[in-house]
Amino acid sequence: MIALSTVLKEQVSHIRLIFRVSVNDIKSRYQSHYLGGLWQFLNPLLQISVYWFVFGLGIRGGSPVGDVPFFLWLITGLIPWLYIAPVLNQGTKSISSKINMVSKMKFPVSILPTIAMLNNVVPFVVMMTIGIILVIVNGVFSGIYILQLPYYLLCMAVLVYSVTLLTATLSIVARDIQLVVQSIVRFMMFLLPILWNMSNLNAVLIVFLKLNPFFYIIEGVRASIIGHTWFFEDMTYTVYFWSIALLLLVVASSLHVKFRNHFVDLM
Amino acid sequence: MEPKVIFKDVSKSYKIYNKQSDKLKELFLFNRRKAKQFHALRHISFEVYEGEVVGVVGLNGAGKSTLSNLVAQIIPPSTGEVIINGEPSLIAIAIGLNNQLSGIDNIKMKCLMHGLNNEEIQRLMPSIMEFADIGDFIHQPVKNYSSGMKSRLGFAISIHTNPDILIVDEALSVGDKTFYRKCIDKMNEFKERGKTIFFISHSESQVRNFCDKVLWLEYGEVRQFGESAAVLDEYTRYVKDFNAMPNGDKKLFKEAGLKRQYEPLVQKEPRQKPQGGGWKKAIEYTTAFVLYVAALISAFLMLWNV
Repeated sequence: MIALSTVLKEQVSHIRLIFRVSVNDIKSRYQSHYLGGLWQFLNPLLQISVYWFVFGLGIRGGSPVGDVPFFLWLITGLIPWLYIAPVLNQGTKSISSKINMVSKMKFPVSILPTIAMLNNVVPFVVMMTIGIILVIVNGVFSGIYILQLPYYLLCMAVLVYSVTLLTATLSIVARDIQLVVQSIVRFMMFLLPILWNMSNLNAVLIVFLKLNPFFYIIEGVRASIIGHTWFFEDMTYTVYFWSIALLLLVVASSLHVKFRNHFVDLM
Repeated sequence: MEPKVIFKDVSKSYKIYNKQSDKLKELFLFNRRKAKQFHALRHISFEVYEGEVVGVVGLNGAGKSTLSNLVAQIIPPSTGEVIINGEPSLIAIAIGLNNQLSGIDNIKMKCLMHGLNNEEIQRLMPSIMEFADIGDFIHQPVKNYSSGMKSRLGFAISIHTNPDILIVDEALSVGDKTFYRKCIDKMNEFKERGKTIFFISHSESQVRNFCDKVLWLEYGEVRQFGESAAVLDEYTRYVKDFNAMPNGDKKLFKEAGLKRQYEPLVQKEPRQKPQGGGWKKAIEYTTAFVLYVAALISAFLMLWNV
């Protein structure tokens, strides 16, 4: 608890630093690319079109999911994932890639995963907006249910931060964690309701897939845009999600605070 | 006068692991079999006051860089206490520049991380560029820089972030005479403003000209600490004697010194556990446990409802 409040206080009191470093990061990341910041959008767009082609046209033969055209069903799940996946990878590396820089000064290391999260926010917000507009234009918009979108975005932020703080801290101790996260992120997409509709699956199996807290977020974001359920309708799952997310946050922050003075020694 | 830097019986030990996995075992499993320890610094105690310039001398491996990292609060001491009253800033050859970024971007990055805002950076930028004196190369990625350029840039950035305690770790040894002159001027300016400087150098003449006091380290221990001239005279004699030794003797001497660094530290008193932290830990464990149970129960309910 104490470690948790230390970590949270650091986020709040360095909020300006977080923004400045993030802006600088984004600027410098695409500096040596000819297409510059355009890559932030090109890469996800390419992925969306390939998945739509393979899963929508190829496997499903273009049939809709319920009343919703597959393309819209796909992007409402894929856009949040296209934010989560790179942040998990970059967040895990965030501390070890900057350790040489920050170790020569006093710097609140716990804000580095936050910076990684912020670095990917702009394309996410832009694509989310375009996605919602497409849904509205096609007349499958959820209406009032959109009000729970901020709630699910909060869930996403808490979970992603907890996971990346944990993996970033552990990857200082053992570099292997970076590779573990990379491969888990790669296959986890297929175990989430992003590319294929799970309604045909055995109910027990679905529960097991639901134990992955990212399931809650993907389904929730989709429910806010094209669905017809509130988050409090399934209270058991909501309690489950928050217990897992907060447990991760408590464990991550206490490990982080315990190890961070020794980061330089451990490298 | 308040001491700026206090070292109380400080030691810095590194564990020597045979395997990568031993490190993990020690971290997580409270391995009973202790790893072999190498003491880079042993029982160091000294005090440095405001406005003092302390030269740190010693042969290779004496623990100079470890000492500078401890003063800069980059690494924590293993035992003992380091008290720093002020904001330290370390200047070393490997300063932690990002090789992919240009000089300008590195200046921005480092200043941002030191907590300066954009206006302050804009204001400092010309002065930093002027001091670093790398001309048009400032727009090139740092990986194309020579070692002198890198160290000049690092030095220029570090002194412009306005530290109270400046630690200069052999950064000047790569610069030419003009740059050296400029650094000394800047450091004298710091000295006059009452800031404390640690100056780590192999050049005895640099130390003699610039420092008030000298700390002489030998194999992780303080050999002497006192007025610059007296200590340096002794040190010069010592280095001369050492160099005059036949090679075989040198090797024996070094081995004896290194062996001493593996010997266990003198335990003065049983280390006291910090009091009052118990209930904090208890809250943390209880919260984690409650959350864990909540997750288990809700997962079970989800399965039950199917």
